[in-house]
Amino acid sequence: MDILPMTVPDTLEGAYILSIVDFFLSIVIIWVISLVLYCLPYVNKFGDVTDESLTSGH
Amino acid sequence: MVQKFLGLLLALVDQTGLMSISIGNIIMIIVGAVLIYLALAKKYEPFLLIGIGFSCIVSNVPGSDLTAPGGLFHYAYSGLEKVIIPPLIFLGVGAMVDFAPMIARPSLMILGAAAHAGIFIAIVLAKMTGIFTIAEAGAIGIIGGADGPMAIFVTMKLAPHLLPQVAVAAYSYMALMPLIQPPVMKLLTSKAERSIEMTQRRPVSRLEKIVFPFVIAIIVNLLLPPVAPLITMLMLGNLLREVLIVDRLSKTVANDLMNVITIILTVAVGSTMAAESFLTFKTLLILGLGLIAFIGGTASGVIGAKMMNWFLKEKINPLLGSAGIASVPIAARVAHFVALKENPHNFIIMHAMGPNLAGVFGTAISGGIMLALLGVK
Repeated sequence: MDILPMTVPDTLEGAYILSIVDFFLSIVIIWVISLVLYCLPYVNKFGDVTDESLTSGH
Repeated sequence: MVQKFLGLLLALVDQTGLMSISIGNIIMIIVGAVLIYLALAKKYEPFLLIGIGFSCIVSNVPGSDLTAPGGLFHYAYSGLEKVIIPPLIFLGVGAMVDFAPMIARPSLMILGAAAHAGIFIAIVLAKMTGIFTIAEAGAIGIIGGADGPMAIFVTMKLAPHLLPQVAVAAYSYMALMPLIQPPVMKLLTSKAERSIEMTQRRPVSRLEKIVFPFVIAIIVNLLLPPVAPLITMLMLGNLLREVLIVDRLSKTVANDLMNVITIILTVAVGSTMAAESFLTFKTLLILGLGLIAFIGGTASGVIGAKMMNWFLKEKINPLLGSAGIASVPIAARVAHFVALKENPHNFIIMHAMGPNLAGVFGTAISGGIMLALLGVK
């Protein structure tokens, strides 16, 4: 485990900063992932993969 | 002759733990027994609490060196210390979970982030006590993520000495979610809101399910390196499940490997519950803050869902928000049963699984950002 220099101060103010930044960034990253998932149905244009085609001959 | 015999007897007694048992040891043995009672009589997380309770009892019986360096339990703990066990659990979880509900309705993913405000409420409150460092506060806050392996992972990175308290709080409150969540959910919603029925979700193709783990693994490795081991293994497990062709591997990680790792995990957690480190005022505070984190997360999830309804034409059942706290599938089941009580025809379990699975990512993302902000790799 590498401990890098603390970027958030070990104070109550630091706890506020950590909480606000973390909560905000979490929402942004989840939102980015959901945007990517919106595009996921487009992979179906590349073809159809059926369960039978994956398990046949196995 | 008699003197020699007595001397020998005393020397033998000295080698046992009889002379060094303390009141603290006895209290912790009772705590271990209570955990086992909860598992057996109340059916609260028996797969976890039996192992934790047993090793808690054994570890508090002085005499053996089970938990000392070189002892058997110490090696189990090394799996946590080296952060190997949590990713392996995620591998098994990935092989057990169908992410289709989340893929089908990405709009509900945001609830997986909204339901984690409890983490941050707990962090601020922990810091306000003046007792905890910010790293310790972060470890306490992550209890609100309602995800055992993630709580262990983050705690081992931020404050390993708090592992027993954090692990016990996280797993206990997850088991108690059917009692903790419903009052909060009812307080924040009307009967009409709880009765909202959800429309059918779209079917998800096999190809989408196969592409999904690659996409998520790439995003997480790119944006959140601190928690990449966990999510990467989660996605590997899910890939093994969805490609169908390696069902033997998929079944092994979901069953056999998962069972082995669960045994090691419970032994490791229970063995850290030594009286001298567990019986402190800090433990009580951590348990209290953990409960606040769970309540706060449930509340923020429901409020988040209600806020989404301001902008949606087709309203969603706000109970779905409470499932965003993670703890798959307990939180989704709780949301389902609360909705079912209001409307016996309202089956929201599969809809609640979407935010519930997103909650796993929400916790991982919050934990990853926290580690990065605190400068821990």
